[in-house]
This record gives sequence, structure tokens and C-alpha cells, in this order.
Amino acid sequence: MKKISSIFILSLLLVFCCSCNGILGSIYDNKPIADESTGQQYGFIEIDKANNSGTIYINASDYMQWTYVNLHNKTIDIKVIDTANVDAQTEPQDWDFALHRYDVKTNKGAVQATQFATLDELRNSGTRPDGSGFSVDTLGNVTVDMSGMMDGNIKLVPSSINRILSQWLDVNTSVMPPIYTLSKRVYFLQLANKEYAALLFTNYINEESEKGYITIKYIYPY
Amino acid sequence: MSKKSLISFILIFLTCYSIQAQRYIDGFVYSDKQEPLFGVAIIIKELKSLGTTTDEKGYYKLRIPDNKAYTLNVSYYGFEKQTYSLKEGEKGKIDFTLKEDVTKLDMVVITGTRTPKLLKDAPIVTRVITQEEIEQQDATDIREVLQTELPGVEFSYVMNQTPSLNLAGFGGNAVLFLVDGERLAGETMDNVDYSRLTMDNVGRIEIVKGAASSLYGSNAVGGVINIISKESKDKWNANLNAHIASHKEYRYGGSVGFNLKGVSNLTNIQYTSSAPIELRGDGLNLIYGSHSWNVKEKLSYSYNDIFKITAKAGYFFRERESAEVAHERYRDFSGGLKGEYNISDNDDIMLSYTFDQYDKSDYALQSKLDIRDYSNVQHILRTMYNHTFRKKHILTIGGDYMRDYLMTYQFVDNGAYIQHSADAFAQFDWNPSTHWNLIAGLRYDFFSATKLHYVSPKLGLMYKIKDWSIRASYSAGFRAPSLKEMYMSFDMASIFMIYGNANLKPEKSHNFSIAGEYTHKYYNVTAMGFYNLVDNRITTAWNAALKGMEYVNMAPLQIAGVDLSASAAWDFGLSIRVSYIYTYEYIQKGQPLTASTRPHTATARIAYTKSCKDHRFNMALNGRFLSKVTSDEYTSLTDYTQTEKVTYPGYTIWNLSFQYAWNAISVNTTINNLFNYVPKYYYSNSPFTTGTTFSVGLSLNIEKFFKQK
Repeated sequence: MKKISSIFILSLLLVFCCSCNGILGSIYDNKPIADESTGQQYGFIEIDKANNSGTIYINASDYMQWTYVNLHNKTIDIKVIDTANVDAQTEPQDWDFALHRYDVKTNKGAVQATQFATLDELRNSGTRPDGSGFSVDTLGNVTVDMSGMMDGNIKLVPSSINRILSQWLDVNTSVMPPIYTLSKRVYFLQLANKEYAALLFTNYINEESEKGYITIKYIYPY
Repeated sequence: MSKKSLISFILIFLTCYSIQAQRYIDGFVYSDKQEPLFGVAIIIKELKSLGTTTDEKGYYKLRIPDNKAYTLNVSYYGFEKQTYSLKEGEKGKIDFTLKEDVTKLDMVVITGTRTPKLLKDAPIVTRVITQEEIEQQDATDIREVLQTELPGVEFSYVMNQTPSLNLAGFGGNAVLFLVDGERLAGETMDNVDYSRLTMDNVGRIEIVKGAASSLYGSNAVGGVINIISKESKDKWNANLNAHIASHKEYRYGGSVGFNLKGVSNLTNIQYTSSAPIELRGDGLNLIYGSHSWNVKEKLSYSYNDIFKITAKAGYFFRERESAEVAHERYRDFSGGLKGEYNISDNDDIMLSYTFDQYDKSDYALQSKLDIRDYSNVQHILRTMYNHTFRKKHILTIGGDYMRDYLMTYQFVDNGAYIQHSADAFAQFDWNPSTHWNLIAGLRYDFFSATKLHYVSPKLGLMYKIKDWSIRASYSAGFRAPSLKEMYMSFDMASIFMIYGNANLKPEKSHNFSIAGEYTHKYYNVTAMGFYNLVDNRITTAWNAALKGMEYVNMAPLQIAGVDLSASAAWDFGLSIRVSYIYTYEYIQKGQPLTASTRPHTATARIAYTKSCKDHRFNMALNGRFLSKVTSDEYTSLTDYTQTEKVTYPGYTIWNLSFQYAWNAISVNTTINNLFNYVPKYYYSNSPFTTGTTFSVGLSLNIEKFFKQK
């Protein structure tokens, strides 16, 4: 018994005394580093050509920019908001929808929310959009500066917004920090050329759990 | 008969007479819960050197040298002393049943002086919550216990549902939480992780209100709460327990222990889980779900009360479902080694080393990556020496060293800072007569980060006569600026930055208190008045030049009040206790903080206990009352000129519990929030109750199945 006690005590001493800045750091994961072989961290990170589907990953953490998504070319494009001259906001030549934080707008498109929670459910159901019940973008505001929030002076700029598609994430700001809830719904996006895409927003954090990083699964063309 | 034969006859006669005159008594000593008591002293009053103690089965055997009548004194800490008149020639079996001393005055406490003292002799006012009181509540962690037992205690929520303490005007970082005298690593919003402080291995909790930096250094500004863990006294013991409550709240635990040839071990393991709670009113509408694991190990070896070495280790894990895509994880690894050596009857020395590491990480559910963004690692070395003069005056001297490492997401690039601190202290406990006790202490602390030197004095005086005692004390408290407060550079959700301030001065407090206590038979009344002058309290305030929040020192504030308590406990099993605190807080206008401590708070308890052979029944009604508080709150975060009055409603909550124990089995049923109080609006300081709820707990002390009287 005494021998066991001595071993226990000695092991304790050895473990702790040799660990000035802590022990068991290896149980945690390291911060992920961008894939150097492709150089691509954001954008169309997965493309399944056979099923017309894939995954888009967007860094929307900056309040001062829109990220434009081109489903046909599988590209993304970032444009900084010019708060001094919002009307002259530059947009890429071809784009289908864009994200600013959790706000979404479309390029002359329209959106319908479905009852499906996954893209597979949608595909298996064989449901097709019939063109009715779609909502177009309307004029609204997006936040470009939160720094005056505590004094009630959040800085907003006008922008078109698709209110149906922007419901992919509910942000309840009545408590601090806000409570975020995913809608877990697949949305039909009708493009300007009347093609359809199915979009499912699955995440709003990055691998380090920082907010403002958005993952979208899509089927295009649907 | 020859002369030789005559001498032989006389010798034989005398021997026979002496054998006949010598006699034995033996028997068992039980508590009023019918549990055998180990270590009870049975002493013959008239022959003070003669006596014995009970073994782990509560058994004693005592040789009486002759046939005379004597008085037996049977005594045990925490129990009422019993006397027994041993008749001439009486021998054989005599059992005793000792009643628990509800006044607790014979309990040993340690927190006020760092040397063991009977509660009635402790010169610093100390409140004790016993193991029995904790078990009756069937509480999971310290929050429930403190709120039920003490008025003036309020746990509310701050940012991100972080529990935050207010103890009669003092916040979480101004009250020092200790486990067996050791401080805890890690904090969130200035509060330690209270869910680490589970009640499964707790022997008692000692609370000293007011400053205590002359013994404990930094953070003992407004009080010290010391959790004393249990030790195995039985040859072996094993316990299994479960607790199920409304809102899918579960707790499962177990412990195993033994005590063999000086080696004593106790291992505890506990799992808890609670589902998210949806609140129906306005305001905060969802309490996050969570689950936790807590493992504690304590192993000690003692040699004839001369030398004792204790090793401890612990692991804690808590996962909180704070978002549907990511969970927050909290872990703690702790260990320690303590050696105690009684050099002589008058001298003892202690040397200890403690390690505590508190980590926070975020677990992203989709990527399955668990990335740490906070780690606080403390290494602490302590030593203390006591010398007793003339068997009654005690000189205590000691010193500590701490290495404090902090890595956090609140530093630039998740950086880290290290601080070394060291101290030396001395205390003299002077007992010139049975009526008087004077205690004086002085401590010097040094902190490397700010090259801070700080001296904290203490002076306490106690006078007691018959059933009365009066205590008066002055004590100083301080809190050194933490690494977080000095070096923070944190972007608060793109709303504002929070900056540390390396030029912060330490928080300091001067605490004056006077207390009177009257105890007679079944009754105890205490009254205490207190006054605290607190200066340089550290908080965050808007800095126009930095365009962000910055840690700053505040102007002086004052906290004064009255603490009253009355209790009665009768022989037939009924007991009543009522405690009340009035707290008055004064903070100069224009300071970033405003007063928000509820002025009136009270707790009440009425209990009835009945024991019969192996059965024990207990019923308790506990109530707590918190008055409304009206606070002048600033209308702007960046300007401290305009205020508005905000009133938070008061409330009263009653819990009714039934405990039934039979031999090894104990069942505890509680109706929480008996009168179905539901807040109309859930403020951060509202009770997060949905109305009346129920819980049931079951505990099996397996060793009792095998032990017979």
C-alpha cells in the first residue's frame, strides 16, 4: 500500500513540476492552416460535378464587404462597401447572390423557402419549383459599423436584401450574446435567367468557432 | 502457621483483592443517526489521565482500577458532551448515543486563523455549513448551498450566462474561494467556475465575511469561502448516488474510500447533465444545456499523528451547449502534495505544493475541432510554522510563492503573460485568560508584473463570559490587478475594444466589524455590524482617447450593514433558524458602476428530525427572501452624467424537502419553489425558475450493508 502511495505521489510531482505552462496541451486540436497546395480557403471548396452540387465557404466576418457568388463559374468576388457613396457601389459583372455578414441579396433573382431540411431530402422527393411563391429583393439596410451599438448608433447603409433568404439564420439580439438559430431549410433560388438553384446554409462559424464564416451547400442547376 | 506461610497468605489475598477490585466497562458510541462514532473520548473525570477512544466501529473498552464510583465524560467534536455516573462496582456493557450539537460551537474551524480552533473560541466570526446540512439539501454545487444557507448571497447571470456572485456588496473576484485552503485557477467575467465546486466530497464549508488578506493575500477583499473536503475514517466505504430533477436534470455519482494502517484514500466521481430550459416569460428565454464530469482523488499517509503526507489530484470537464454549431468546453487539471510534521507538542510545520490548470476551448461540431483559447496555470508553494507558548498562545509564521501563467483569446494574438508573486506573514494568537483572546496578524505581498508591494494588517479581539461572546475586528483586504486586467486587448463583437491597464493600483478594503453572540441551551442569537471602506475597485470605463473600454480604478465606495441570526433547536427534533442581512452601498455618482446590491435579504429554515433505531426522517422547509433593488443606471456607456432609475423586483422562494434514511439507504425528495413563483420578466438577476419543480435523490452507503452493530 505504501509503495503504491509513494509511486502515486512521485508521479504527481513529476507531472506537475515539469509543466510550468500547463499539461496535456496535446488533447486539443491546432488551429487549421489554409490548404497551401490549392491556396484556396474560401469559395467553392467542394464541387461534385456528377450531382451538380457542392459546398461554398465564405468569410463574411467583415461588416464592410459583400461577397458575390457566381454559381455558373464557381467563383466568389469580394467588394468593399463605399459608405461615402453607396449608390455607386460596384458589383461584379456576373453574380447570382451575395452575402454581407448574415444578410443575403440576389442579382435580380427570387427566393422560395421549402420544407426540406437537407438537399438529399429535396432530391429524393423529386419536388420541382413551379415558379410561384417566390419573393424578390426589397430595399433595406445593412450594418457597416457596430461600434456605436451601446449608444444606439449602429451605422447602416441602404441595400437591396432578399428577406426570405436572409431568414436562413435567426439572430435573437434581446440577450447578450445573441442566440443564433439556423432555419435548417433548403431555399430555391430563381436566377435572373430563370434557372434554379437549391441552397442550404449549414454553418455560420469557422473551424475555430469564430462567427461570420458561412458554409452553403448547393445544387446548381436544379 | 509459620511466619513465611503467613506472608505468603497475605500476598495472595492482596493480589486476589486487587484482581477483584479492577473492572472493565465496554460498549458502543453512536450518533443520534445511529452511526458509529470513531474517535470519541471517554474519560474518567476524577482520574484525568485515564480514558480511551472508540474505534471505527464505535467500540470502546475501559479498565477501571478499582470499585469506586466515578463520573464518565463522553465527548466528541460537533456533538453534545455527555456525562455518566458510574456506580460503585458497576461494570459490563454501557452504550452511549451522542446528540449532534446544533449550535456547532464545538466544531473545529480553521479559516479565520489558519490554525484549528473550536468555533466558540475562534476570534474571527466564522459561519459553518455542515456536511449534514449539505446532504439534506442534496445540492449539486456550492451555489445552491450558499444561497439556501446564507442571506446576502446572490448568484445572477452576466454576459453569456456566466454565473456572478454578490456577497453583501462584494463580487466574485473580491471573495476568495478556497478548497482545503488552496485557491482556484481560472475565471470568467471575474468569477471562478462554481460548477467545479461540487458537494460530493465536502466535509464542511467555512465562511469568513470581511477582508482577510493578512492571512490569504490577494482577493480576500470581502470574504473567504473555504471548502473543506472529507477524509475516509472507516476501514472502507463505498457510496453510489443519483439525483433526478425536473427539466431533465440528472446527477450520478459514487465514491470509494479506505483507511488502513495510516493510509487513507477517498476517490469521488460525478457526472451531471441538464437539458436546455426554455423560459416562458420575457427577457432571457433559454438557459443552455450542459454536462460535466468531476473526478477527485485524495490519498494520505499519517504516522502516529507525528507526520502526515497528503496527495490530491482532480479532473473536471464541462461542456455547455451554447450554440447549435459549437459548444464551449471547460477543463481543469489539479494536483497537490502536502506534508505536515508535528515536531513537538508545541511546534508543527507544513509544506505544500499545488498545481491548478483551468482551460477553455471551443468545440466546433461540424469540423470536430476542439481548439483551446484560454489556459490559466498556477503553481503554488506554501509553508507555515506554528509554535504554541504555554499551551495557549500560538505564533504562526508562513510564506507562499505562486507562478501564474495566463494565455487567453483576450490578449493580442492569443498571447500569454506570466506573473510571480511571493509573500510572508505572521500572526500571534494571544489568550491571556479564558475570557479574552487577542489576535494580530501582518502580511507582506509582492507581485512581479507591477512590482507591487503590499502590507495587510489584522487585529481581532474576543471577550467571552458564560453564554455571551463579543468579537471586534479590523482587517485589511486587497486584490492585485490580474494579468487579464493589465494586458487585455479584446474586440468585443466589433462593438468596442476592451483594453487592459498596466498602471492599475490594487483594490483595497478596510473592514471593521463588531459581533455579539448569545448561546443558551437550545437557543443562539448573533448580531453583527460591519463597515467596509473599499478603494480603487477595478472596473471597466469608457476611455474617449482610446475610443474603447479600459480597466480603471474607481473612487472609494462604502459598504455597511447589519447581519442578524437567531436559531433554536429542541430535544424533540424541531429546529428553526432565521437570518437577515441589511446591506447599504454608497458609490459616488459619476463613477462607472452604480450600487445594485439588494438592501434586504433573509433566509429561514424550519426542520423536524425524528430518529428511531435504524430509521431517520427529516423534513425541512427552507425559504429565501430578496428585496427589490432600485439602481441608478447610466443611460450611456460612454458618459457617466445621466442616470435613470431601474427597479429589479424582489422575490421569495421556498423549498420543501423530505429525507428518509434507513440503514444504508437514503432517499431525498424536494419540492422546489413551493409557491410557484415565476418572474414576469427574466432579468439577469432574476431566479431562473419556471415555477414549481421536483427532484428526487437516492444514496446508498454500501459499507453499511456489511456492518452490523
